Amino acid sequence: MKTITLTLKKFSSIALEFEELIPDTVYNWNKEDFENYQVPVGNSRFPLTNYFDIEVEGDAEGPEDVKMILEGDMGRVKYIGYRMTDGEIIVNGDADLQAGAEMIGGSLKINGNAESYVGREMRGGNIEVMGNVKEYCGTSYIGEWRGMSGGVIKVHGNAGKQLADCMSGGEIYIGGNCDILAGIHMTKGYIEIGGDVTRWPGGQMKNGTIVIKGKLSYLLEGFDPEGVFVDPEVDGKQLAGKYIKYKGDVGVNGKGSLWLDAEKNRNLL
Amino acid sequence: MVYEEPVTDYDHIVENCTCAFCGSNCDDLDYLVKGNHVVAVRHACRLGASKIMEDEDQRLKVPMMRDENGELQEVDWDTALDAAAELIANAVRPLFYGWSETSIECMKKGLELTEYVGAVIDNQATICHGPTVQAVQNVGYPLMSLGEVKNRADMVVYTGSNPMNAHPRHLARYSVFPRGWFRQRGRFDRTLVTWDPKFSDTAKMSDIWVPFEENGDYAFCNAIRAVLKGKELKEDVISGIPKQDIIDLTEAMKNVEFGALFFGLGLTHTLSKQRNIDIAIGLVQDLNAYTKWVLLPMRGHFNVNGFNIFMAYQMGFPYGVDFCRGYPRYMIGETTTVDLLNREEPDVFMVIAADPGAHFPGGANMHLANIPVIQIDIHWGPSTELADIVLPGTFIGVETAGTSYRMDSVPIHMKSAINPPETCREDEWIVNELYERVKKIKEEAK
Amino acid sequence: MEYILKNGIVYDPTNNVNGDKKDVMIKDGKIVDNVSSDAKVLDVTDKLVMAAGVDVHSHIAGPKLCLGRLYRPEDSRAGVVAKTDITRAETGFSIPSCSATGYRYSRMGYGTVTEAAVPPLEAKHTHEEIMAIPNIDVSPLALFGNNWFVLQFVKENDLEGLAAFVSSWLKISRCYGMKVVNPCGSEAWGWGQNVHGIDDPAPYWGVTGGEVVRALTKVNEMLGLPHSMHVHPNDLGHPGNYPTTIATLDVVKDIEKNPNVLRDQTIHCTHLQFHSYGGTSWRDAKSGAEPVADYINKNKHVTCDVGQVTFDETTTMTADAPMEYDLYKLTGLKWANKDIELETASGLIPVIYSPKSPVSTLQWAIGLELFLLIKDPWQVVLTTDSPNAGPFIRYPRIISWLMSSDRRTEMIENKEVHNWASKRTSLPTLDRVYDWNDIAITTRSAPAKILGLEKRGHLGIGANADVAVYDIEPENFDATKASNAAVVEDVLTRAAYTIKDGEVVVKDGKIVKIVPSRHMWTNVTGFEQQEKKVLEDIMPMFNRYYTVKFENYKVFDHYIDPAIEFTIDASK
Repeated sequence: MKTITLTLKKFSSIALEFEELIPDTVYNWNKEDFENYQVPVGNSRFPLTNYFDIEVEGDAEGPEDVKMILEGDMGRVKYIGYRMTDGEIIVNGDADLQAGAEMIGGSLKINGNAESYVGREMRGGNIEVMGNVKEYCGTSYIGEWRGMSGGVIKVHGNAGKQLADCMSGGEIYIGGNCDILAGIHMTKGYIEIGGDVTRWPGGQMKNGTIVIKGKLSYLLEGFDPEGVFVDPEVDGKQLAGKYIKYKGDVGVNGKGSLWLDAEKNRNLL
Repeated sequence: MVYEEPVTDYDHIVENCTCAFCGSNCDDLDYLVKGNHVVAVRHACRLGASKIMEDEDQRLKVPMMRDENGELQEVDWDTALDAAAELIANAVRPLFYGWSETSIECMKKGLELTEYVGAVIDNQATICHGPTVQAVQNVGYPLMSLGEVKNRADMVVYTGSNPMNAHPRHLARYSVFPRGWFRQRGRFDRTLVTWDPKFSDTAKMSDIWVPFEENGDYAFCNAIRAVLKGKELKEDVISGIPKQDIIDLTEAMKNVEFGALFFGLGLTHTLSKQRNIDIAIGLVQDLNAYTKWVLLPMRGHFNVNGFNIFMAYQMGFPYGVDFCRGYPRYMIGETTTVDLLNREEPDVFMVIAADPGAHFPGGANMHLANIPVIQIDIHWGPSTELADIVLPGTFIGVETAGTSYRMDSVPIHMKSAINPPETCREDEWIVNELYERVKKIKEEAK
Repeated sequence: MEYILKNGIVYDPTNNVNGDKKDVMIKDGKIVDNVSSDAKVLDVTDKLVMAAGVDVHSHIAGPKLCLGRLYRPEDSRAGVVAKTDITRAETGFSIPSCSATGYRYSRMGYGTVTEAAVPPLEAKHTHEEIMAIPNIDVSPLALFGNNWFVLQFVKENDLEGLAAFVSSWLKISRCYGMKVVNPCGSEAWGWGQNVHGIDDPAPYWGVTGGEVVRALTKVNEMLGLPHSMHVHPNDLGHPGNYPTTIATLDVVKDIEKNPNVLRDQTIHCTHLQFHSYGGTSWRDAKSGAEPVADYINKNKHVTCDVGQVTFDETTTMTADAPMEYDLYKLTGLKWANKDIELETASGLIPVIYSPKSPVSTLQWAIGLELFLLIKDPWQVVLTTDSPNAGPFIRYPRIISWLMSSDRRTEMIENKEVHNWASKRTSLPTLDRVYDWNDIAITTRSAPAKILGLEKRGHLGIGANADVAVYDIEPENFDATKASNAAVVEDVLTRAAYTIKDGEVVVKDGKIVKIVPSRHMWTNVTGFEQQEKKVLEDIMPMFNRYYTVKFENYKVFDHYIDPAIEFTIDASK
């Protein structure tokens, strides 16, 4: 097991790009390798040591043996865990854009808030965010109709707009509230939202499942009610309580299912 | 309105000039020229004519730099260009913004400079029709050249835009009033519809006004699409519109021979932004199963679409393109101007043919106040107040010829009618000069 | 600069050089028979030497390409390459950016490419893109098949007027030749409709596709344009369309070829694969390649290119807009459309050709059948209708299929492709292979001749010094072996040398020099009086129904710098 600890000592307002510092590339680096490494910043590269204190302990045979700990405010460190296939990254602070984007495996834990594009086009692995995420969590790349296809994203706080745009697999759990258009254009996969939702979940969805345990303020016309179910099993998951099931979005001949907690949404009964 | 006598005191007329105001790019203007001034403009709307004629007002005429007291002082061209080149050459996160009111020829030089130094290049789409472009990328883009509407359309819908005020000749020249090949009676052969919360001047002259509530656009379009799929609407009123009105409107749209939907920033900048466009495009695609429908965004500046086209053919991405890593990268929210400024990333900002000082959110402008700003423009404006170096350009379509792309992507060569002020330089020349000087600095540093 | 390419194995079918070991000499951008002692020697001993490739039909520049790039950032992202000291950044897989287009063709050893569809109203845009493409000369073809003036002339049977219009519009759009796409069908798309077959008239106009093709072909020969009528027939992509294709070719059979042209054909049928389907629906679709190939084998007035499917995720784009909407209804993927007033329509949609899909496999097999069933290689040219059936960077892979029937058999027997290849086509029974001479014909010599390009596609004295050298020894290499297919593909993808007008632009598969692409256009002379009259006649209609002024409609000189003007004397 190799533990790599990078402790922020200087905050750069120009973002650092961290896609080269994932377990897959650094598992055989020693401290000196990190000290010699130049990190991309804007149109230049500067020594990583300008920004971080570096500690490396233990050895690793492969990425699976690596634990990277990023200490401090990573609010200007982009692409943490980008395309990682294995190993573990822990961020003790906030994370910047694209955390866990295109992730294939391993785990990423953010003990703070995360910016937009968490887990964009994720294919596998686990992401856990203890705070909030902004827009486009678990989304596709702009123009790409095949979005997140696997893995699990768990957000304990709130999620911003357009969660999981074009989702085509995997699971997303939001503990808090969620802004407009969660699961827009989704074709497959599972989204569960613990809190309240403002408007229009599942707009233009073709398939997949959205579960909302809180109150929904606006439902789209494109959703047809299919009845009320008690303790339903949804995508192999046992939900507790009464749920209203909808099918949609009719506008695109969608066969997606939207489950709303019946108690919290009595107005729709 | 006061009656004004026609201008008769002029030396000569330059015909078929192209208006350098809005995205309609009317190319039928006649400039009446006297002593190297345009003294009158024929055929233009008031917006276009006033821009073309009253342009000497607040014109930037000499290069300027801020002195130690923070006052802009006149300097010679070499001093200003060298100082600007020095800033650009030493920047880590330079951002070059604007371009929508200059020529494609100038953009070419700008992109070379951008690529050379590893900057971000972006245009006004980032604050106007950027969401439209995103929606197009998500779901498609059934559009047409404006003559298709003129010759064929029997229903024209405007939504989230008020062309009577913002694109004054749009209805007259392209969409509603002109006699077309298949619409010989012009306005009488067409149904004009406006969907807009406001009773705008365009709504006032429409046959049908659909006043959906603010932020109701997405749900409104969603309801029409559901009706098209044969669904019975649940709610009696959707987005403020009675159910029956939506059903009737859907029927009417299905039964025209050729329908055109024009939309503006009223659609791109309400709550669900690009998703409004996304669903409107979906709606037009659905309607094509019944009859012919097309749509088009009402672009603002005369070359805002040109920049998106130019960047797409040069680099595969339409706006907000980041070259800091040596290859182009396009990621909304990450490589787009306002986001970068809000994050306080850029360390040098060059603005050309745009006015962020007037248009950007406060947070973005606060960062501009903190970093060196180079301005290339023809007018004194709020951005000049933020600028540290001012490089006076020339007026495309009046003083300098160049290529632009109309809102429907028709390319137009804009000719020049008069000479630019002697102390000004063409935008293309200025940007190329910066490029050459930055190259020299960088080569010497190697 | 002078060069001698020493001791290469040269394939130059135009000059009957078939794998001879010889030197190729270059001076001042031309092939010569003698150079001075200053000539730089490039040792290409035993390597494959050919004229640079010529593409008879591709989509590389112009409004619909740009729309594709604009609305498919996910495709742009798929081909991102960082800039180097010589090259600019590249993007795009199926729709590469302009610079990437030039580099990629150049790396494959190509020197001339036809941009197959230019709407005159937006011709400036096409030329702007050509200016941004390096290292290949481009011959753009203007769209005429749905132009209202053309429909009007055809309706009135005024061939003289039509000829003057065409000659004038080639000057205005600075195009090399004429293209017809789904004649009358794209006009019908103005109302959301299509036409079916060559006898189905466009709504309102009462003119049929067959009449348009016939009239324009007559005009083409009347003027003696270097290239022939270049037609994309009606009913593209519809099962059961092959009779329409044959009817289209047959409708011009009796039209006499202009005696002054280099080419042999009067009609070139493009992406024939998409037009050679039997059956009645996708359920019972089968190959129609045999009757089509049979017709071409019997008729010398026809040439074709294939539009070979390559099994990629690509972007379809065509002026056949109603077909694109049909495709949208089938796949639901994002659909774009661009109709151009008085001229044409166009549509785009991403497509995934999968070897697991029966339809894709059928299309793939039909393309190969056409290559193998048409006997005279001078009548059939390699294209993918890039990017429609696949991106042009796949040409080397197609060549590897043509050169090895073992590889084709392997693909079918190992189930790399769907069993429709054997159930619905005759491909498994075809064991013909192309040799290097055939490859040189189908990728250089034939397309150059079909386009009427005297100085391209061969290495004779006086030809343009556009040369490709590949790092393979034809005499010591068995391209028929299935296991060598990957080698063929690899080697042809990165030329050892590409020489453009006597300058080395590619070495060892890398771009070493950037030269501007030239805009090839045809200037018809001797027709000035008729042109003047026609312009006067049509001007009222132009002014009333276009939305730009005529003065601003044309392509000015600065959009075609540098240009190659092909001057035609129509009075001859």
